[in-house]
Amino acid sequence: MTKQKIIRFLTFIILLIFGTTTFYPLIWMGYTSLKTNAEISASTFALPETPQFINYLNAWETARMNVYFINSIFVTVCSIIVTLLIGALAAFILAKFQFRLKGFVYSMFIVGMLIPMQSVLVPLFIQMRSLHLLDNHLSLILSYTAFGLPITIFILESFIKGFPNSIIEAGIIDGCNIRRIFVMLILPMSRPAIATVIILNFLNNWKEFSFALIFISSDGKKTLPLGLYNFIGAYSSNYSELMAAMMIASIPLIILYLVLQEQIINGMTAGAVKG
Amino acid sequence: MNLMFKNKKTIFICLLPALLIFVVLVIIPIVRSFYYGFFEWNGLSDPVYVGMNNFKEIMLDKVFWKSFKNNMMVVVASVFGQIPIGLIIAILLNKKMKSSSIFRTIFFLPMILSTVVVGLLWSTILNVQVGVLNYLLETIGLESLAKNWLGDPKYSMWTICFVIVWQFVGLYMIIFLAALQNIPQDIFEAASIDGATEGQKLFKITIPMLWENIMSAVVLCIAGGMRTFDLVFVMTKGGPAHATELMATYMYNKTFEVYKYGYGSAVSLVIFIISFAFIIISRNAMAKKQLEV
Repeated sequence: MTKQKIIRFLTFIILLIFGTTTFYPLIWMGYTSLKTNAEISASTFALPETPQFINYLNAWETARMNVYFINSIFVTVCSIIVTLLIGALAAFILAKFQFRLKGFVYSMFIVGMLIPMQSVLVPLFIQMRSLHLLDNHLSLILSYTAFGLPITIFILESFIKGFPNSIIEAGIIDGCNIRRIFVMLILPMSRPAIATVIILNFLNNWKEFSFALIFISSDGKKTLPLGLYNFIGAYSSNYSELMAAMMIASIPLIILYLVLQEQIINGMTAGAVKG
Repeated sequence: MNLMFKNKKTIFICLLPALLIFVVLVIIPIVRSFYYGFFEWNGLSDPVYVGMNNFKEIMLDKVFWKSFKNNMMVVVASVFGQIPIGLIIAILLNKKMKSSSIFRTIFFLPMILSTVVVGLLWSTILNVQVGVLNYLLETIGLESLAKNWLGDPKYSMWTICFVIVWQFVGLYMIIFLAALQNIPQDIFEAASIDGATEGQKLFKITIPMLWENIMSAVVLCIAGGMRTFDLVFVMTKGGPAHATELMATYMYNKTFEVYKYGYGSAVSLVIFIISFAFIIISRNAMAKKQLEV
């Protein structure tokens, strides 16, 4: 029994060491965001004397996190809606219809999951330039959609494939056309898979940096990750405000994670393993 | 009834939007970069055909090979950092203590943060003036270990690798934890009755039973290592003196800093081919292993 206890104790200690390494940097970000810059220079380790919530206000207004935040919401939401609509349509067709190039179309999308985003940065920049979409949110919405489609189609196709054909046939007998079947049957029945797809795309798009970096140049159109990156030049020694800005960008993700932990972990793991 | 599932018009209309976006924004750009790879082009004047010159220049550029080596270093650090640590944490969490679920939540947390946040956070923690890491090392009497983590070319790439492991270890922990929970508990009980030690259980039962998952984790590490860009761009931009240059930052600098679009396209193509080859080879090697078993 005592040996058991020792093992449990050691297990806990090792987990505590790894856990602290993982968690302390985030805690540090949290409490440093509430210190004054003078306090940070005096001691980078100490807790704040009195929490300086003004840092958040400054980051939100002076450092324009409010603008970036709204841009991020706009781009993320738009690309999720577009990805979901056209991805679900394509997944429905690929799952239930029969046609000659089906295998080819499906594998083309699936291979898309393997294409590293970075290898198309330059070509996509040139493409957006010829489409006159540089410095336009549409360039981000379209690219996020294009790169969100493979995993969206993959998840939804395998889910819709599991629906018995008899349900769709019953719908046809009741006089529904394909559009009604898609909207009234397929979409509501796919809700769990759609939730996974929305979570995955939300996280990917909200966090995305490289496309935003090369497509967007005017400050008023920047998304959160790009806006944060600006801090390096403009406010390089204003660490308290930088930490507050980083907290503002991360808090929505952390809340979402705490609320939907299981779905997020499962979705991201499945997305990573399949991709 | 079946005719409805073969209606060409429905199929075409419903697939069109997805196909259009995917072809215009993924397939065509890749084909175009193949084309521009053979040109010298600054993005403004007319492209000039230069044959294989760009590719020759890439192959002869020491900085490119340095960046390739750094990508490999990220892969190696991921395989030998993320996988063992992820496995150890998963095994410990699988002992089902009261605190297990809290630890699980914490270990996955860095995965959900934007890489820009992770990069800026660690840049600050490692900063020579306000960084908390050097401060802590000095406080516990290890000031000899305190150094300019990102500024010294001797250590900067190791530092980057550490941050990558820090960020992604949670993913591997989850993959292994899910797999561990599928191993029937009675195998371990039978082994205990036969007098197996913890070490024997680990090497004779756990690791062999997880081998497939470990191999797919290796594939993930390879794919991830080839993809790295954001973190290095935010933390060092490839510096100091190209010490942390990656293929992607090399491509970025050549295209957007010195405006060599043709050359940048050629580099994209090389990255595309190299990463694709690595991913395909590692996936096939893994698929073969599975057939043999």
